[in-house]
Amino acid sequence: MESVLASLEAMLADNSIFTLDTLSYYGEGLTTTVQLVFLSLIVGLVAAVPLSIGRGSKRRWIKMPIFFYTYVFRGTPLLVQLYLIYYGVVFVEGIQDTWLWVLLEKPFFPALVAFSLNTAAYTTEIFHGAIKATPRGEIEAARAYGMRYSLMMRRIVLPSAFRRALPAYGNEVIFMLHASAIASVVTIMDLTGAARFVYARFYAPFDAFLFVAAIYLCLTFAILYLFRYLEKRLLAHLKPASG
Amino acid sequence: MADTPIPLEVRNIKKRFGNTEVLKGLSLEARKGDVITLIGASGSGKSTFLRCMNLLEQPNEGELIVHGEQIRFKETKHGREPADWNQVVQMRAKLSMVFQSFNLWAHMTLLENVIEAPVHVLKKPRKEAIQHARALLERVGLAERADYYPAQLSGGQQQRGAIARALAMDPEVMLFDEPTSALDPELVGDVLKVMRDLAEEGRTMIVVTHEMAFARDVSSQVIYLHQGQVEEAGPPDEVLGNPRSERLKQFLAPKR
Amino acid sequence: MIDLHGYGPRLLEGALVTIELAVLSLILAIVLGLITASAKMSRNWVAHRLGTLYTTIIRGVPDLVLMMLLFFGGQIGINMVTDWLYDRFDIDIFINVNEFVAGVLTIGLIFGAYMGETFRGAFLAVDSGQIEAGRAYGMSHALVFRRIRFPQMMRHALPGLSNNWMVLLKTTALVSVIGLSDMVRVAAEASKATREPFLFMIIVAIIYLLIASVSEWFFAKLQKRYDVGFGGHD
Repeated sequence: MESVLASLEAMLADNSIFTLDTLSYYGEGLTTTVQLVFLSLIVGLVAAVPLSIGRGSKRRWIKMPIFFYTYVFRGTPLLVQLYLIYYGVVFVEGIQDTWLWVLLEKPFFPALVAFSLNTAAYTTEIFHGAIKATPRGEIEAARAYGMRYSLMMRRIVLPSAFRRALPAYGNEVIFMLHASAIASVVTIMDLTGAARFVYARFYAPFDAFLFVAAIYLCLTFAILYLFRYLEKRLLAHLKPASG
Repeated sequence: MADTPIPLEVRNIKKRFGNTEVLKGLSLEARKGDVITLIGASGSGKSTFLRCMNLLEQPNEGELIVHGEQIRFKETKHGREPADWNQVVQMRAKLSMVFQSFNLWAHMTLLENVIEAPVHVLKKPRKEAIQHARALLERVGLAERADYYPAQLSGGQQQRGAIARALAMDPEVMLFDEPTSALDPELVGDVLKVMRDLAEEGRTMIVVTHEMAFARDVSSQVIYLHQGQVEEAGPPDEVLGNPRSERLKQFLAPKR
Repeated sequence: MIDLHGYGPRLLEGALVTIELAVLSLILAIVLGLITASAKMSRNWVAHRLGTLYTTIIRGVPDLVLMMLLFFGGQIGINMVTDWLYDRFDIDIFINVNEFVAGVLTIGLIFGAYMGETFRGAFLAVDSGQIEAGRAYGMSHALVFRRIRFPQMMRHALPGLSNNWMVLLKTTALVSVIGLSDMVRVAAEASKATREPFLFMIIVAIIYLLIASVSEWFFAKLQKRYDVGFGGHD
């Protein structure tokens, strides 16, 4: 370990910007970005399952509020949503005196809420589309074999819809990774925040932002390959056998 | 009078789509071991009639008695609906349907397709269901294809798999909705052979089909529908061998 | 207009900035998109590689990072060029990267990559028989492009174009971060000053939804025009 650090230091000796000190900023930024994106994706995914089922309901009073929610959150910039929640929370009268303040004081939590609400809206529409695309015949077969609505949803519609939604959901994950860069606007030290810090300190925009761009590019490719692998595994059933 | 209840009785089924009446009061009685074929031109209502039998379509009028049990209906503002969906679910489990376009569940292997409803609807133990399913797949000649997904099978194999899925329910009556119409001609034979075997072992079957040879050789009763009404009905020798109406004669005449 | 603690007029100005920015970026993106699509479909492997590199990098890096790179880096880059011009040729010019131009350039550059994909798919969707028929009647390459390929391509491109426009519109909000007074920045300032974030952010959200709804209506009309003769779109 020490020899690795030593060789790293030797490598970095010639430049004044990428010292171990600044690299550790990027390292912390990476952790924050991954945490923020991962947590909001999980929350969004869990919320999107019931929401997408409700979105396809025949009852207007279930369907319309969900449609309104996804319409608003998909139709407005994430930055506006982030500001609304970030400033909205801070300016609520007396909130500083409650126990909630422990959480809300840090910008991480409002950002997590905004990101989760946003990705839940997109994911709801992705799942809704995938559910709607279930072949009619498969639904008829389920009904003809005596399945009730809930059983049919659980066993037939959702499992096939989730698989169908995989490519679109992969895009959503990448979208969230990129969108998370705006967390730096509300003073979160994510990857972009780290880059802005390094830029401000050394006035070296190319070094600071190109480096972080490269990290994002790597993360994007990692997600891309992960989803390609998942598609290969989980969508195998849709491909005709060769030979 | 037979001691066991009649598997399926249908009385005076009427069905309207908008203002057009597509079924104008159709009745049918399937006793144990009957093979009833429904024939007719497209638009005659034969598929709609079949789909009314397991309530995939809701008939506007008429009675349905499955294994001696009458299905209860109620009037709602959307029209007539089953009064008790639990009853419908149980009824459907007794009538299993084979579709024109197979409708195997694409995300499940063939074996998973076959055990799905027995395990989750009939609550059969999984192990038992798998054993039964393997035997059925063997019967329809697909033992080695158990772990394939539907998309990896030919149309004929998919349809035989779908028949195995239907058999796995131990149905009172099997409903076939043009089971060979979506198949390439060279694949029809295998499916028909499986169906002939089923008829021979005494399965109760109702078959909508264009295969006149099958209707002639296998069925105990042939019903010729025209515009939602029974034009002729009876044993195949009578209906197909000696058609009375001009329309049926024309229908049976070799095409081209 | 409602006064909104004195921020009403500024918010309106901000909304105009947003619309101007979005429309100009869209035009740039369409031009870049057409160039990229041609490059990616070209038989020249250098052009093909360059097109692929451009779309890959743009789609792999967050918009905000690209924007900061271009805005903050752009000024330094230009200064380097003007310094060099001064040293070598005694030419003394000063170019200040203005936020609006930087915004249009960045957003145009980003969405040029997305448009490139949209146009490429649309060009490939045009039936090759249509083009052959044009050639067979003695039309030149340019004439075939202008009279046959382009109008038919547009029909396939419109859904993607409309989608890109909706995303682009929302992306303009990012320019508030580099200091341009679009409506999001005005609203953010107003929120802090008046401590009424809900009021201002919700107004801004409604304006975005309004622009999106009007665009949706417009694109639907446009699609109808390009669908003439095709009996609805597929």
